[in-house]
Amino acid sequence: MEELILELKQRIIEALNLEEMTPDEIDAQEPLFGEGLGLDSIDALELIVLLEKNYGIRLANPAEGKEIFKSVESIAQYVSEHRTK
Amino acid sequence: MVYHIADNVTSPLGNTTEQNYLSVKSGNSALRYYENHWGLPEPFTAALFTAEQNLAMAIDDMTRFESLVIHSASQAIDQSGINVSAPNVVFVLGTTKGNIEELEDNRPVPSIYYPGDTAQRIASKLGFTTTPVVACNACISGVSAIILAMRLLEKGAYDYAVVCGADVQNKFTVSGFQSLKAVSQEPCRPFDLERLGLNLGEAAATLVLSSDRVAQQGDHWCIESGAVRNDAFHVSSPSKNGEGARLALCGTRADSVVGQLAFINAHGTATMFNDQMESVAIERAGLNDVPVNALKGYYGHTMGAAGVLETVISIRAAQDNMVLGTRGFSERGVSGKIRLSSQNQQTDKESFVKMISGFGGSNAALLVSKTPVLAPDDVLPSDYTRTHHVVLTPDQLMVDGEQREIQPAEGDRITAIYKQMIGNYPKIYKMDMLSRLALVATELLLQAEGAERFTASENRAVVLFNHSSSIQADRAYLATIADKEGCFPSPSIFVYTLPNMATSEVAMRNLFHGETSLYILPCRDEKTMEQVMEASMLDKSTHSMITGWLDYEDNDHFIADISIIQNLSTRDYD
Repeated sequence: MEELILELKQRIIEALNLEEMTPDEIDAQEPLFGEGLGLDSIDALELIVLLEKNYGIRLANPAEGKEIFKSVESIAQYVSEHRTK
Repeated sequence: MVYHIADNVTSPLGNTTEQNYLSVKSGNSALRYYENHWGLPEPFTAALFTAEQNLAMAIDDMTRFESLVIHSASQAIDQSGINVSAPNVVFVLGTTKGNIEELEDNRPVPSIYYPGDTAQRIASKLGFTTTPVVACNACISGVSAIILAMRLLEKGAYDYAVVCGADVQNKFTVSGFQSLKAVSQEPCRPFDLERLGLNLGEAAATLVLSSDRVAQQGDHWCIESGAVRNDAFHVSSPSKNGEGARLALCGTRADSVVGQLAFINAHGTATMFNDQMESVAIERAGLNDVPVNALKGYYGHTMGAAGVLETVISIRAAQDNMVLGTRGFSERGVSGKIRLSSQNQQTDKESFVKMISGFGGSNAALLVSKTPVLAPDDVLPSDYTRTHHVVLTPDQLMVDGEQREIQPAEGDRITAIYKQMIGNYPKIYKMDMLSRLALVATELLLQAEGAERFTASENRAVVLFNHSSSIQADRAYLATIADKEGCFPSPSIFVYTLPNMATSEVAMRNLFHGETSLYILPCRDEKTMEQVMEASMLDKSTHSMITGWLDYEDNDHFIADISIIQNLSTRDYD
């Protein structure tokens, strides 16, 4: 799980262009949206693409993302349970 | 104010305005369901031309988009009887993505990709001799083209304008809206409780306008007023309180003639956020007693065509004393207490408002009447002064005529200058290069101005000109849908394939709620830029503007040559 969390942090930094951030600066338990990293609706859509492209997970309904994208840890949990690649 | 002297709508519903109007009036829709189309994994509903219709319009040596524009424009021109080769006639093209389907992944950029070159090819084929202008402002492009044409005529730069709004659909555009989760697989339901998103559509529509100096005797409808305003809120989500749309509505002064309005033709894309926002804006502008309709259930969202097409159909409906129904609507699903017109109904009023909104927080509105209902507005002579000036290229940075040292940088030069001289705005890393260039150059300009920053204001406009459109973002986005591993369209790159995002990023950073417009020209041409800039200053809310040339091809070829202009003619207005 630790490995997947680090991999996700790196992918999130790249996909969301968080250029001045390092994986260490992202707390895996902290909320990604709202406070936390201050991500917005387009970032949420970009995370959907990230899951599909790298882990073969298709979220048909963006509303599902709300629970999954709470924190890096919750994404890691979901990915480990649902990944197809 | 300018007069309507001819028009055309070319859509999957018909080749003339009359065919289109009668089809819409009887409730027909061009929307069809498409599965496994253009290699897209998700099905969608859209209004597309059939193969036969495309073939019937095809012109040798012209692209599908160009043939469509010529088909529509030439009919309207014939009907108007004007001689387009005269020096007092201008061609204005409103389009969101023009010839984008001619751009191929990993291939050199063909010259027909550039929207200014596209407009020039079309204008030359139609016989124009003046320089065409492309209004490229995402989904409001059609209305923004009409407003530009109106002001050029009011200013006396030309006597006639042929305004065409057009877009075609393809894998690029449809995948982009799908990646934003904005597309409904079913026919759209504007303003309805159960709306699920928009449908895209193909069309071209043309308006021939004449100035009041040369309008022939007769029964001409007129475009009385128009305004463009920015939400200064978010690149893709509309403002929650509909601020930009409200300001655009009030900018037309329609709120002063509520009792004379037959209807408001809304944008009504049927996305959750757009329709909700429009309802709030209409209510806040005090127009909630006026019937509201939307035409997307008949045509889908025809992008750059929408503003012109929906204005033309609305004029035709108003001439027929008709408020058209809103196909797909049955129960109000927006919080603004507006009066939606679900069925066709009669009206005896002879004015209407067209409103429209788009990505980048852009909003526009028009007031159209059979006979003018507004008190006449004076056209003020141009009187302005340039207060600050920045030139930024790969080799030099000049601020107010003085050379500034740029530290040599490896790789991305614009981001390096941001780090060296600006900083503290990490949102820049999310932007495409054209927007980064706009942001860096305006930050330097505003530093030079030294005035108080970040106070929300409607009085500063951002009006930029360019040639290369959003070529860097377009290529980057194309790579995401041509991925060998599959089609993974990137929503965050797609929004920047709208080059007006450069003006919007500046507006958002600085809370500028004034006009934001991006115009694309066949080449850098100071005379046309000055004409457009002077025309833009007819908007009495525009006390000052950031304006100039902004072009980004690649890291070795870019230029921002922009200024702050104070509009002295508005000194007595507020």
